Amino acid sequence: MTSRIQIVAIAGSIIFLLFVLELVRRRRLAEEYSALWIVGALVLLGASIRRDMIDRTAAWLGIYYGPAVLLLGGIVVVSAVLLWMSVILSQQQTQIDQLIEDTAILSAQLRDARRGLDRADRLDRREPVAYAGAGPTRPRA
Amino acid sequence: MALPLTGPRILTLIPAHNEAGNLPAVVGEIREHRPDLDIVVVDDGSTDGSAEILEQLGVRWLRWPQRRGVGCAVRAGLRYGARLGFDVVVRLDADGQHDAEDIQRLLERLQEGDADAVIGSRYAHAYAGAQPLKRVLAAVVSAVARRRITDPTSGLWALGPRAATLLASHHPRGYPEPELHLFLSRNGLKVVEVPVQSRERLSGRSSLTLLRMITAAARVLLAVVIVPLRERVEP
Repeated sequence: MTSRIQIVAIAGSIIFLLFVLELVRRRRLAEEYSALWIVGALVLLGASIRRDMIDRTAAWLGIYYGPAVLLLGGIVVVSAVLLWMSVILSQQQTQIDQLIEDTAILSAQLRDARRGLDRADRLDRREPVAYAGAGPTRPRA
Repeated sequence: MALPLTGPRILTLIPAHNEAGNLPAVVGEIREHRPDLDIVVVDDGSTDGSAEILEQLGVRWLRWPQRRGVGCAVRAGLRYGARLGFDVVVRLDADGQHDAEDIQRLLERLQEGDADAVIGSRYAHAYAGAQPLKRVLAAVVSAVARRRITDPTSGLWALGPRAATLLASHHPRGYPEPELHLFLSRNGLKVVEVPVQSRERLSGRSSLTLLRMITAAARVLLAVVIVPLRERVEP
């Protein structure tokens, strides 16, 4: 017989799965980051439909109180997601670092080039040039 | 092969954060001793008007609006140098604690050709004078790097072509000096020390707070374990 809590659990799992899919559809969640959430929702749905799976898993793990398996599973999934997010964050930090440095370097090169042009103009006009050390790159010896 | 001591291939790199009060003196001293060297200052998110001073000083400079740490500043400076064809880079601090006269000594040691990087060590001659914590750090880094290091936090380096190229893409972030020793050692680069004298900073206060020191210490502890286990990298 299907209990009320089972119906609520199944409905909740389906709503969660649909919510994740909707986020992907609206491009609010990138496909590569949605995989773990979709798998999590499917596991929740499976556990809601087949409640005996929880009891069997609990017996296999030696856990006396069956629902504790759900809590344990939840903690494992959330920890995995957090670690995964930290990896992504680290990758993005590296990319951002590179972009910031590239922008700063390009700005400096542009500034150097402008100074070089300005210096060349002033030399043409035989005006004194104070900026001696930071013109465009001199050719290698 | 001996490296040239003069010419456009040597870049002086100064990472700086809120050192507007010291930069004119530091740059002036370098120009006094080695007027032939190009200078790039990497302004790491200063809020004290350093940008205006850099423009007046007539040096090359890079800057970004937020502070990212001295490691990022040095890496950016090395990348800039590599792009412009410099293959020897001298790095020194912006607080004026290094004597620009020592640049020549570092370059001369680098010119001997048997080292990839030369460090100006404040304790090479007077190791007992180092603070106890620095001595512990030196002992740990020496043990892992398998060579004697007396000053693992020195900010005075001369990097030869191999080290400059490698670090342009792999320089550690944060407060990187101890990790730098481990990284270079792991990748088979030879680093030697040259004794130098250091002074008190010319003006202002160090940006190294207690929290930053704890963070840096934690990073070093992690690096001691992780860096020797990492794969070697190619320049």
